[in-house]
Amino acid sequence: MATERAGTWLPEAGKLELGSCCGPRMLSPERLALTDYEYLAQRHVLTYMEDAVCQLLENKEDISQYGIARFFTEYFNSVCQGTHVLFREFSFIQATPHNRASFLRAFWRCFRTVGKNGDLLTMKEYHCLLQLLCPDFPLELTQKAARIVLMDDAMDCLMSFSDFLFAFQIQFYYSEFLESVAAIYQDLLSGRNPNTVIVPTSSSGQHRQRPALGEASMLEGVEASLFYQCLENLCDRHKYSCPPPALVKEVLSNVQRLTFYGFLVALSKHHGINQALGALPDKGDLMHDPAMDEELERLVVRSRLHRTSRQHRAQEPGTFGFHRRDKLEALERVPSASAPTPSPYRWEPRE
Amino acid sequence: MIPGKYRSVSGRATNNVNCGLHLVIQTSSLPEKNKVEFKLHKETPSFPGRLLQHDLERNYSSRQGDHINLVSSSMPSFPILQRSSEEKILYSDRLTLERQKLTVCPIIDGEEHLRLLNFQHNFITRIQNISNLQRLIFLDLYDNQIEEISGLSTLRSLRVLLLGKNRIKKISNLENLKSLDVLDLHGNQISKIENVSHLCDLRVLNLARNLLSHVDNLNGLDSLTELNLRHNQITFVRDVDNLPCLQRLFLSFNNISTFESVCCLADSTSLSDITFDGNPIAQESWYKHTILQNMMQLRQLDMKRITEEERRMASVIAKKEEEKKRESQKQSLLKEKKRLTINNVARKWDLQQHRVTSIAANQDRKDSDSPSQDPGQVDGSTISAFPEETGSLDSALGNALQGLSVTDTHLVEVDGDTLSLYGSGALESLDRNWSVQTAGMVTTVSFTFIEFDEIVQVLPKLKIKFPNSLHLKFKETNLVMLQQFNALAQLRRIDQLTIDPQGNPVVSFTLWKYYVLFRLSHFSMQKINGTEVTQNDMIMAERLFGILAHVASSELPQYRLISILGDARKKQFRYLLETKGKKPGIVSEENNDSKRLVGENTNRATLNYTTRDFYNEKLEEIKEKKKFCKMYIEDLVKEATEINMKNEALQKLWPQMFIELVRDAVIEIRNKSSYMKLCLQQITDQK
Repeated sequence: MATERAGTWLPEAGKLELGSCCGPRMLSPERLALTDYEYLAQRHVLTYMEDAVCQLLENKEDISQYGIARFFTEYFNSVCQGTHVLFREFSFIQATPHNRASFLRAFWRCFRTVGKNGDLLTMKEYHCLLQLLCPDFPLELTQKAARIVLMDDAMDCLMSFSDFLFAFQIQFYYSEFLESVAAIYQDLLSGRNPNTVIVPTSSSGQHRQRPALGEASMLEGVEASLFYQCLENLCDRHKYSCPPPALVKEVLSNVQRLTFYGFLVALSKHHGINQALGALPDKGDLMHDPAMDEELERLVVRSRLHRTSRQHRAQEPGTFGFHRRDKLEALERVPSASAPTPSPYRWEPRE
Repeated sequence: MIPGKYRSVSGRATNNVNCGLHLVIQTSSLPEKNKVEFKLHKETPSFPGRLLQHDLERNYSSRQGDHINLVSSSMPSFPILQRSSEEKILYSDRLTLERQKLTVCPIIDGEEHLRLLNFQHNFITRIQNISNLQRLIFLDLYDNQIEEISGLSTLRSLRVLLLGKNRIKKISNLENLKSLDVLDLHGNQISKIENVSHLCDLRVLNLARNLLSHVDNLNGLDSLTELNLRHNQITFVRDVDNLPCLQRLFLSFNNISTFESVCCLADSTSLSDITFDGNPIAQESWYKHTILQNMMQLRQLDMKRITEEERRMASVIAKKEEEKKRESQKQSLLKEKKRLTINNVARKWDLQQHRVTSIAANQDRKDSDSPSQDPGQVDGSTISAFPEETGSLDSALGNALQGLSVTDTHLVEVDGDTLSLYGSGALESLDRNWSVQTAGMVTTVSFTFIEFDEIVQVLPKLKIKFPNSLHLKFKETNLVMLQQFNALAQLRRIDQLTIDPQGNPVVSFTLWKYYVLFRLSHFSMQKINGTEVTQNDMIMAERLFGILAHVASSELPQYRLISILGDARKKQFRYLLETKGKKPGIVSEENNDSKRLVGENTNRATLNYTTRDFYNEKLEEIKEKKKFCKMYIEDLVKEATEINMKNEALQKLWPQMFIELVRDAVIEIRNKSSYMKLCLQQITDQK
């Protein structure tokens, strides 16, 4: 059933190496302007090739036993399925948009049960869960995500799984974009003209902004339309992934003014952005994963058997073949899970 | 009326004598008339030894009584006593008025030479009318109703004064009786010893059956040889060491419960006979040997002669006691050292954790003065004593507190089945050669003030050295992440886990227990933080984290699986290399064990924990490799794109080239005959 699941979430070809904003450019003549090398780098193909070789180096002896071709097949299969980010170092996990989406999905899949159980957790505990999947996941990111949920105050408060997850998604997937946005926001707030932004109404906008600043406490945040113009500009030239400008416009068009966190909250709650990102299901379906639930039921039943059999074993030692079989099972399952998926890449390393 | 009364009284007196007087004089009294006489004549009365609890014979007095006539005096209140002249001659120096139902002292006329006067068993309430008997030596007022000592100031030669069984509340008015030899005040209501310091000739003082609550004010009684204090409520005794001649002291039936309350007795050099029976102290197990040991001069204790054997026993026991005391002192010293060391370790830990607030710092500074001088001491004494301590570890198994090695930065302690480690330095103790017995006994290992990451590194050692450890305790160990629990999975067995919330933030998490249960499910743990683990807990744990394990084991690409499991195996291998040669037997066993471990829960074996340092090291390594890979791939790709470019260029050129080539060929063969000629020419040339 692993294959089945893999089938349900095969990222669309375009998304594998592309940030969603780069999508339309794929067919544009710009592509022809790039050299081959630049093109590969831009599509993150190089990242994966480098990582594959790195992994190969890491486990030279073991891999050479079962075949280098087999290894590459498996590697790129797992990249397709998004399982390649499990337990990897943070630098790799955030290296490409695809990796980020894969990590978000893995997090959701592994800890959906925590949310389903209804537990409200603190930022630190969520961070621990993240670290279970990525040991060196930085606290800063989790903190920022929590800040979106908790609005900057009371960082020790409890959060629901879904609130955290959607906020985390925005923060993690668009972290570079959000940093630029924060800078722009600060500039706007202080009345400065965000550098490089050439807005037709800038002079008048600036003029209007100034008196507003005096009563900043009354009028919190910045004007939405002005903000959008800046963001649109940013999206155009931003080399990292940003949310689709149309959706940003939609978010900003609903309000007159808004604060930075207000903007982030709106982003995190916008299901269109979630869909565009493609890593997580809709909020309504967040706890819904029947295939995994089925699997979990089996695991629970087995653990119950396990426990009783173990208690037996404690009384009469010498029958622990049970667990060895366990291991074989697990090892067998892995290739069987990935084998039927046709490998989209052929890659022969030079001798 | 009087004669009748008188007769009947004397008759009753005879009866009484016949049936034997039941009265008991508690202390030395006058046993026999002859002796008394002898003594009185010689004026050096020596009272025979101890006269305790024996009936006093009073035959002489009853005999005398028969010949006395009491005649009512002309005065209304006082009878006047007259004796026949022959009787006067017979008993010229004594007069006995025993059991005469006297309510007052009669006026005794013409008897100025009297030396002995007996008023026993009357109802006299006041001493009077005897001040003219200035030669009186012996005055017996036993068993009367006297409430105050008075009327004695002229009796300067009085040597024996018997006032037993009266109603006296206070010792007083004895100022002029400087030659008093025997003073019997037993059976009164005296609550305090006072006004006796001038009685420097007093040899016997009987204060039995009074209301004394303590003994003091004994200064000046320089001749006192016997002091009877039985049947009081005495709780403590003082000043006895100021009695240079005291030989016999009777303290039976009092309320003495500690040796400390009578310790002045030990300083008395003359004391040879003492009783404590009927006191709480006599019930104590240490009673006899403590007394004997502290009072070497003693010859009798509680009426029994002290034998040499007993004395020897006492000294042996005392020596043992002393040793025990010294031992316990040593223990308490060690305890103190331990406390200081723990304080020290705690402070270091706090500094390390940057948790010292300014207030705490101030407090600590106050404390630190004493421990700061301590380390040197502790270091010196314990490090040097260390080898023998390890050696005696087993021999001292009986003791609750076994071995203790203290240095100022860490502390290792084995207490029964618990091994306690304080401070990171204590982890080195696992390298020590623990005896099989001790190691086998330890079932609980507790870690305090040690970074969890450091503990992780010694877990394999712990597994080998203390194979029976079932209960792990962590306090102040910086457990902050769930994944840290992964490290415990490599142990052989854990039944109980106790994570103190102090210094372990992970305990504040909602999910930590479930995660522990899930990750360490192969141990089938019984208790976490003292709470019994139920089947429901296990199921809950599985429900929460089962998918994680499932994903980890079934969806991880095989090369990753191998790499992750390989790390765990490699780590073990590295440790094996370190210990190889030292203990080949254990190593092989360990080998099996690691295999079993890997087999046991592949499902969750992928969830392992590498300590920060190790992980960072690994990241560095990966960085290096990445750099290399990047360059390698860059080269490859550049080469490939170059080839591709050339290829493309070639592809572009090729059609033109081909056409050109064909054209050249066609031009060459256009003139068929000349071309044939040319070809033939070439063939002939070859031949």
